[in-house]
Amino acid sequence: MILTLVVITALGFDFTNGFHDTANAMATLIATGALRPKVAVLLSAVLNLVGAFLSVQVALTVTNAVVRIQNSDGTPKTETLDGGGTALLLIVLAGLVGAIVWNVFTWLLGLPSSSSHALFGGLIGSAVAGLGWAGVNWTGDGSKLDGVVGKVLLPAILSPVIAGVVAGVGTWLIYRLTVGVARRFTDNGFRWGQIGSASLVSLAHGTNDAQKTMGVITLALIAAGEWSDTGAIPFWVKVTCAVAISLGTYLGGWRIIRTLGKGLVEIGPPQGMAAESASAAVILSSSQLGFALSTTQVATGSILGSGVGRPGAQVRWAVAGRMVTAWLITMPAAGLAGALMWWIADLIGGSAGAVVIFALLLALTGLMWARSRRTPVNHHNVNDEWQDDRAPARVPAGHAS
Amino acid sequence: MHNLQLALDGAWKVLLASLILGAGLPALFALGVRSMAYGTGGEVSGGSPHRTGTIVGYVCFGIVLLGVLLGLTYIVATGLGKTLSFENVIPTLVDKS
Repeated sequence: MILTLVVITALGFDFTNGFHDTANAMATLIATGALRPKVAVLLSAVLNLVGAFLSVQVALTVTNAVVRIQNSDGTPKTETLDGGGTALLLIVLAGLVGAIVWNVFTWLLGLPSSSSHALFGGLIGSAVAGLGWAGVNWTGDGSKLDGVVGKVLLPAILSPVIAGVVAGVGTWLIYRLTVGVARRFTDNGFRWGQIGSASLVSLAHGTNDAQKTMGVITLALIAAGEWSDTGAIPFWVKVTCAVAISLGTYLGGWRIIRTLGKGLVEIGPPQGMAAESASAAVILSSSQLGFALSTTQVATGSILGSGVGRPGAQVRWAVAGRMVTAWLITMPAAGLAGALMWWIADLIGGSAGAVVIFALLLALTGLMWARSRRTPVNHHNVNDEWQDDRAPARVPAGHAS
Repeated sequence: MHNLQLALDGAWKVLLASLILGAGLPALFALGVRSMAYGTGGEVSGGSPHRTGTIVGYVCFGIVLLGVLLGLTYIVATGLGKTLSFENVIPTLVDKS
């Protein structure tokens, strides 16, 4: 019973992961008109699907970076398996619910917050609630980058800065090198450059992010005794995760695409190419060098950098500031939501508790979706002129940010 | 504070690699666009076609394409549990340690 809920919730998270992150690769393409909005999200969805299937390698130990519910070979720790794995399943479920709630909330505000941070935050929160402070892997053992500090916090600070510098330098160089070249040559050339670099970002996203959900679902299956091979992922898990993330991507988080593509800087084709190339380079080289990071923060840093690097371009620092705030509170907020969910479930107890927090998840996301209908953003108006007074990122009363 | 040291150590490597690939290749691409325009005589000055421009343009695009292929290989290889090794200068596929 709980296992079914965990699987459904994990797929739900994968779906929000998809639509939350469409903007990372496609916002610049859509904003510069290199591709029509619908075509861009379709391309991204297909590449995410392909990317998810490419990940043959098992990402079973994904939770080890931040919480202590697994052994290093991927099997669940024995002390979490009391009562047929219910303890572990409840922690994972509460963490996922917290992550989804935060993801949908930041989407409602049109803010590109990191889905990985939401997932990690949610899991940390529910692990603290369920296992105490010792249930969290804060700093690792010091031999390599590990734990919340090494895998999440430090890269979160460094990666947007690196991406911004690279995109800024790239933009500056491109504008310098093409001074005086007729528009008909530059626009067509950079259009293809943008499509190529954005496609790389989408593919890399599919391989990285779908794997996380696959790992979480497989962990739940092992805990419940439904699966025992720590060297492989059940095929149906792979298929459903791949489909969930690409469906989410195709749906398109238009509110976030709008903020990234139009809100931050007025972006031109050369800037779009510089930004996406910088994102692709930073994402790939950092994963080659074992440096974990968030695609969302890299993409935002790149776009910001492309604004700074273009002579005379205007950057809306107020929008950038709001994004940075969202980054800072993503982990604690998702963690708080995860912890709260665990407490509620624990208070009620057993399967009933799990059902209640699942129902809470449906109610909360439903409410936020209904709220979003009042100021809809879709593929028709995603590129409308940005007006600061009716920005989609209006902060509701009572929410401190 | 081992983590901070390790992170800064990783960060400058990422910055260096990304500057070459993420800013260098787009700059080369821009140079290619410029050469192509020069090749067809489309630059502000001039007006007559220049064959050298077209050739230089194609060379630039070719190098950029190689860089993109390297990135693609890396993504596919990671998914298959392998990684690229740059130890022998020429990138080769090896099993992930």
